Amino acid sequence: MAVVADAGTLYGLLAVGAGLATGLAGIGAGVGEQGIGAAVVGVVAEEPGFLGKGLFLMLLPETLIIFGLAVSLILMFAWTPFSGIVTP
Amino acid sequence: MLRPVKMSRVVVAGSKNVIAPVVEKLHELRLLHIVNYNGSQPSFEMGKPIGKAKEYSEDLIKLRSVTRYLDIKNKAPEKTYAESQILSEMDNLLNNVGADITATFERITAIDAEVKTKQDQAKALTPLAVLPLPLDAYYGYDSLATFVGTAASAVDADVARVSPVNEIYSGSAKNATFVAVFVPIEKAGDVSAVLSEHGFSETSVPKLEGNVDSAIATLEGSVKSLEGEKAPLQKKLTDMKKQYEDLMLATDEYLSMQTQKTEAPLRFAETANAFVIDGWVPTDEFSRLKSELESAAGGKVDVQLIDDKEAEDLVEKGEDVPTKIDNPSLVKPYELVTRLFAIPEYKEFDPSLLIFIFFPIMFGMILGDIGYGVMSLLVLLMLKKKFRTDGWQQLINIVMIASVWSIIFGIFFGEIFGPLGLWGRIMGHMSEHELEAAKHAGLYFGEGVFGSLGRIGFWGIDIFPMDRLATNAVLLLIGTSIFIGVIHCSVGSIFGIMTELNYGEKKHAYFERLPVMLFQVFFAITLLGLVMGQMMMVYIGAIVIVVSIVMNVMGPEGAMGLAHVPSYVSNLISYLRLLAIGLASVGLAYAANQLAFYVIMPMLSGGATNSAEFSIPAIIVGILVLFAVHFINFLLGILSPFMHPLRLHYVEMFTKFYSAHGGGVEYSPFGHVRKFLKA
Repeated sequence: MAVVADAGTLYGLLAVGAGLATGLAGIGAGVGEQGIGAAVVGVVAEEPGFLGKGLFLMLLPETLIIFGLAVSLILMFAWTPFSGIVTP
Repeated sequence: MLRPVKMSRVVVAGSKNVIAPVVEKLHELRLLHIVNYNGSQPSFEMGKPIGKAKEYSEDLIKLRSVTRYLDIKNKAPEKTYAESQILSEMDNLLNNVGADITATFERITAIDAEVKTKQDQAKALTPLAVLPLPLDAYYGYDSLATFVGTAASAVDADVARVSPVNEIYSGSAKNATFVAVFVPIEKAGDVSAVLSEHGFSETSVPKLEGNVDSAIATLEGSVKSLEGEKAPLQKKLTDMKKQYEDLMLATDEYLSMQTQKTEAPLRFAETANAFVIDGWVPTDEFSRLKSELESAAGGKVDVQLIDDKEAEDLVEKGEDVPTKIDNPSLVKPYELVTRLFAIPEYKEFDPSLLIFIFFPIMFGMILGDIGYGVMSLLVLLMLKKKFRTDGWQQLINIVMIASVWSIIFGIFFGEIFGPLGLWGRIMGHMSEHELEAAKHAGLYFGEGVFGSLGRIGFWGIDIFPMDRLATNAVLLLIGTSIFIGVIHCSVGSIFGIMTELNYGEKKHAYFERLPVMLFQVFFAITLLGLVMGQMMMVYIGAIVIVVSIVMNVMGPEGAMGLAHVPSYVSNLISYLRLLAIGLASVGLAYAANQLAFYVIMPMLSGGATNSAEFSIPAIIVGILVLFAVHFINFLLGILSPFMHPLRLHYVEMFTKFYSAHGGGVEYSPFGHVRKFLKA
């Protein structure tokens, strides 16, 4: 079987993938929070007692970035299909 | 602690003769949470205010308008007053001092208005300076129409076409042509149409005399003298604010208390000769309330406890049992977090104690740095003296307790301003004889701060202090985070089950709350089994997971309950933030240390490898960079470890048991906490 990439390249691709996972998830979370955040600020200006619930709603999309991060961590630390050939 | 204080429903009934002493006593005791009478019983009317209610509220309005002029806001009291002192000074304060302040304030407002007019006039006059006319030439004609303003192009020819008799002056200033056109009044309409074709826009000329420059000078002079008059008046108000601030707030408090008392009967039910007050009181305070009220009214009042069953009926009919949260002083600050979300209902749990247990540990686990922990403790001790309001004090206490945990975790992680210690980095750069000197001074503890202590740990695994940036540590912390999540969520689920049982909803308890807990616990056990290679655990876990999903489907939501299953997993994954945010903060601290000691200092010293060869400017620049980056990291390091555990509580834990039945009503007994008044 032909060699398609050397170990360093594979490890580099893993790192790029991990970066994309966290980064894109971050963008997603940001887009999600943008709308909610604006609405919450509006409501809190009218009724300060809503702050707690507003915060709760605003922080909901935060989980998205943690999913991305989980994928990154798995890629970087726990995923070992190349463990035989990749030595970081 | 975990549950709100037990409350009892009471009815206070008495003769109208004693309504004043009863109200006075209730106000002083601060025990009875009054249920407002809604006028639903035909034989009872709503009560009427007693005593001088109207006068008190009028005085209060008067006082509030004066305090608004002085811009007095509520603040921590500097001194307190006796009620008699307030009474003797109130008249003078409201009438003489009040009138003085009002007059001063009104004069300042008038001056401001006048200054504004004069400045506008001066502004309107400035362009007129290009026309060779005195100001009184612009007004006072019976048979002439005057047009003064800017025009885009020359108007002379066109105006002459419609009105042969005319007088036109023009001059240019600041890329606009300024024109003054005088025509007979009967041609005004035509001329106006012609002018608008030339983009004419009219300016209003103030009715003043003399030439333009001197008029402007006069206006500016009077503005100056008005401002001169305003300054001492403003100083007077500031002085008066200083002098009367506390007294005014105390009087405000006194009047508010009096209005509260005189208007209290509006919340009672009344007949011609008697009154009835409904309310809730903490069960163990009932006997005190009863004896105090009876002695105050000389026996002309009856205080009765309504038994639990009857009270239950009232609650069924829509009465809210007030929630009185009661926690030991150490846990009290965490009530702030609970309150921010919602007041628990009477039958629900008060999660403050849980927040007290979990929140600081999570904060500590994320920040986990001795240096930052000590820094934030010091900063907070300073802030504690500055910000004296209750809310700030609670917030500061929360973060202080959390900082102590971050120091404890800092010892586990071996971090002082970064992994393995900034201290260690400094030590690592010392030359031989510097090391000797440090050892001699008792400042050297081996390689890294913990070098001399060796590694510590338990069960034969000596992992502490661990380097959080190392692969093994990351993997260990991923596991730890998820297991903290399992414990956190399970406690929430257990509370959820108990809350549902309190409300008598067995089906919700066993088929909605319990499956979540089973799923999450056995999901974690399955993962552990996979990691440890124990297939037995994996099988058992998988079986229980399937059982829990089946239970969920059998539950009140039916097959729709399946939609929640992914969120059980995502709840747990969400706890990875405990590791992730910590890593980000360690990463930045590590980068700061590397940058300063291994990049900037050697580079600026011309490639030196030993700290002894570092030049002085290099060390200064390095330390500045070190400070800047660590400072930013410190700020972020306080903010995100605060927000994220907060979210873990609100989103992951509270949703398991809290406010499933809507928010509660806080116990607010009739009465007043004295701030500026002596008891």
